[in-house]
Amino acid sequence: MPLRQRNSISRKLTWMNMLVSGAALLLACAAFIAHDTLAFRASMVRNLSTQAQIIGSNSVSALLFNDPQSAENTLSALKAAHNILSARIYSADGKLFASYSRDPGGYLPTIPSLPPGELEIHRFQNKEVVLVRSVVFGGKPTGIVSIRSDLQELDSNLKRYVGIAGIVLSVSLVAALLISSIFRRAVAEPIIRLAEVARAVSREKNYSVRAPRAGGNGELVVLIDAFNEMLGQIQQNEKALREARDDLEERVAERTAELEQANKEVEAFSFSILRAKDELERASKFKDQFLSTMSHELRTPLNAVMGFSELLTEERYGTLNERQQRYVKHINTGGKHLLTLINDILDLSKIEAGRLQLTFENVSVSTSFAEVVDTMRPLAEKKSQALLQHAPPDLSVRADSTRFKQVLMNLIGNAIKFTPERGEIRLSAHSLGGSVRLEVRDTGPGIPIEEQQHIFEAFYRLGETSKKIEGTGLGLAITRRLVELHGGNLGLESQLGSGSCFYFILPGAEAVKPRNVQESGGEIRDHEFARILVIEDDRAAAQLLQSHLTSAGYDVVLCDQPGRALEMAAELQPSAVTMDIVMGPVNGWDLLSSFKTDPRTTGIPVVLVTIIDQPSTGASLGADEYIVKPVNKATLLAAVQRCMNQRKTIGQPRPILVVEDDAPTREFISELLSKHGYLPATAADGAEARASVAASVPELVILDLILPKVSGFQLLAEWRTHTRTADLPIFVLTSKDLTLEEQDYIRTHAALLLQKQRPWQETLVAQLRRALPGVLSEKS
Amino acid sequence: MRHGLRPNFQHRLIPLAGLVAAVAFFLTTGLLAQQPKPNEYQVKATYLYNFGRFVKWPGTVPVSKGDSFPVCVLGRDPFGPILDSTLAGETLDDKPVALRRISKPQEAGECRILFISSTEEKRLKEILVALDESGVLTVSDMPGFTRRGGMIQFVLEGDKVRFEINLASAESARLVLSSELLKVAASVKRNSGSGD
Repeated sequence: MPLRQRNSISRKLTWMNMLVSGAALLLACAAFIAHDTLAFRASMVRNLSTQAQIIGSNSVSALLFNDPQSAENTLSALKAAHNILSARIYSADGKLFASYSRDPGGYLPTIPSLPPGELEIHRFQNKEVVLVRSVVFGGKPTGIVSIRSDLQELDSNLKRYVGIAGIVLSVSLVAALLISSIFRRAVAEPIIRLAEVARAVSREKNYSVRAPRAGGNGELVVLIDAFNEMLGQIQQNEKALREARDDLEERVAERTAELEQANKEVEAFSFSILRAKDELERASKFKDQFLSTMSHELRTPLNAVMGFSELLTEERYGTLNERQQRYVKHINTGGKHLLTLINDILDLSKIEAGRLQLTFENVSVSTSFAEVVDTMRPLAEKKSQALLQHAPPDLSVRADSTRFKQVLMNLIGNAIKFTPERGEIRLSAHSLGGSVRLEVRDTGPGIPIEEQQHIFEAFYRLGETSKKIEGTGLGLAITRRLVELHGGNLGLESQLGSGSCFYFILPGAEAVKPRNVQESGGEIRDHEFARILVIEDDRAAAQLLQSHLTSAGYDVVLCDQPGRALEMAAELQPSAVTMDIVMGPVNGWDLLSSFKTDPRTTGIPVVLVTIIDQPSTGASLGADEYIVKPVNKATLLAAVQRCMNQRKTIGQPRPILVVEDDAPTREFISELLSKHGYLPATAADGAEARASVAASVPELVILDLILPKVSGFQLLAEWRTHTRTADLPIFVLTSKDLTLEEQDYIRTHAALLLQKQRPWQETLVAQLRRALPGVLSEKS
Repeated sequence: MRHGLRPNFQHRLIPLAGLVAAVAFFLTTGLLAQQPKPNEYQVKATYLYNFGRFVKWPGTVPVSKGDSFPVCVLGRDPFGPILDSTLAGETLDDKPVALRRISKPQEAGECRILFISSTEEKRLKEILVALDESGVLTVSDMPGFTRRGGMIQFVLEGDKVRFEINLASAESARLVLSSELLKVAASVKRNSGSGD
């Protein structure tokens, strides 16, 4: 039992008692002493006053009869009073009359004078008291008595009082101490015991102990009882808690075991999932590989089939009889169909596999329409169908440009297919708030409602009976998926007998400036590409020519005022000129002769494009080429190309290296190059190509990517890192399905990327012309 | 309590002022002491009045007409106007003092205090006999006055005026003289004629 702690409350109680009683006693004693001192002083003054009166009345006669001796006798009676220091008598006129001093020669202070009307005053000063009293006799002031007294009696009184107070205080405090010890037993002891119990409980966590009950029934007892009751409750709660905890621990252990079991199962399961995932990934990879291989392996032979059959129809290597012509055409048509089918199947499987990557950009609708219509017009013209398009010039959509055009072409191709001859196909677009609605409407037979819901299914073919309509049955399925990938929905409105309308809605985009179409007398731009001046006063004809030439990479300047044509040509110095004959007001023949006679323009090749079929006249007037309208794009471009080639420059010709492992394709490309006046060289694999380039740098390389020994990618990388070949133009021509990353890589490192999935020959030729404007082979 | 502050302060000032006044007072009185001394009869006139304050007259004394306290001078007046001014407005035995100058001893019976001029030395015996037991305080400055039956006689001790008392004469006239008076007397004769 720690004594100090135990004593703290009782000590506090004792201190409290002592302080209270001590303070009370001190106050009381101080009050008594103050009161007694004041009373004593008052009595002192009274005594002095009496003495002064006695002296005064005993000195009256002495004063009146001027007998100081008698007065001094009276004063000398004060010797008996030890407290009187001195006394004096003054006559009525203020003269000192008689005096007494206990201590002769001692200090005699100044005696205060009586204020008029006052009988007596007194003053305590310097440990003494002075009393001055007037002597009155028979109602008249006769003299003044002053008495000084010391305060020794007062001091000794005070000392005695303080002594008594001290004694009383000590005795009282002792008594208080005794009383407080009794209180302590009654109050502090039970509290101390309570505190001990509380300490023991908190230290030992033993809730079974109880505080001993004190006697009586005061608050203390209530406190102890409440404490004990609380302890009881705590004891119960603790017991319940301990039981709950034990239970909980048991359950936690159970659950932990269960969880561990479950974890094991999950682990095993996830392991199997991982394995399944690996397998799936491998399968998916196989599928991708298969698709990629298929696209390459199927297209390569097809390209040969189509390319050579096309070459045959051109009859450059001997004329074909009509039957041969027909057979070759069948081969070509069949090849084209097969290529389309393969492309469609691969496209669809790519879309279904979610592997089609779209590059979204802001696409100008009118530009896309122009390009699509340009491409599709020959097909429509074959069936004498009108292919019309309308789009506000500032309308744009958020789309992948290539795929957007593919969708439009598919729909138009479909429409052309199902619309009878002389029908009309209308391509239109209009804004719907933030979106753009695009429509392809035809005047075909319409689609029965029961077929409308199946029409977008793969391999579903409309009107199985109409066998003459060719197609893969995949076009609409692909188109629909493509539209969906763009966030749109392909819809159909149709009624039997009143045509069909396919429509879809795409999100709109900020307007993209439509491709600039140069008007007559337009600005003359510094251009590295071959520039063609088109002299044609018919606006529609001029635009057609322009679109053909532009698509081949030429820079076209239109001139619809024949009168100004010569000056423009002289100024522009174009690479070639196309010229109509039937124009007003200037006759084309005249214009042609002035061109050929003007020294500024005589060197410029002229292609006559006219409805008049008089090639001999043209030739006699100096025309370089003669084309009869309607203009065929290929014919036009070939003629223009021949004109360009005429303007050959003299120099050491370097070959164009064709790197292609497939022999027929290699030969076809070589033939194509020769046809357009270029000097081809070939390499059948990567190693050969590497050696060839190392031996002498060619003018340009047409590079396949999938090659034996060294891949096209590797060659590309190598050539780009060598300074000797850093600027070597490289055209990549491949049937490989490229990822977006691969496409990006090739676009950065090669001058051109051509994919065999789509018609590429024309683009290749056009880009060659653009890249090598002055390079021509000797034999053309 | 607040209002008490200022009066307290003034109370403390008053004693100080009193002190200064007292010093000034003593200084001036000291100077006045150098002034010519009051003349002998001026002192005697004052004493004459003061005697009256220490004497008790018997109740049977016939009261003179009017309610005055007669002080008489018998014979030739040595005081002159000094006595008049000294007694003017004073009271004795609660009555206004009245000064009378008389020449016949018969008139003296009505007086309370009788100053007998030394000019009356020759008929002193006759006067005193006439006044016997009539309750008149007799005062004189003639030599041997108390010895011859007079009550109070002025004597000169140097410059100082003092007096002798014949207590027997006063007692025979039933006058009570205060012990205070006796205390300051130059001498007191207890038995008549025994002093001689």
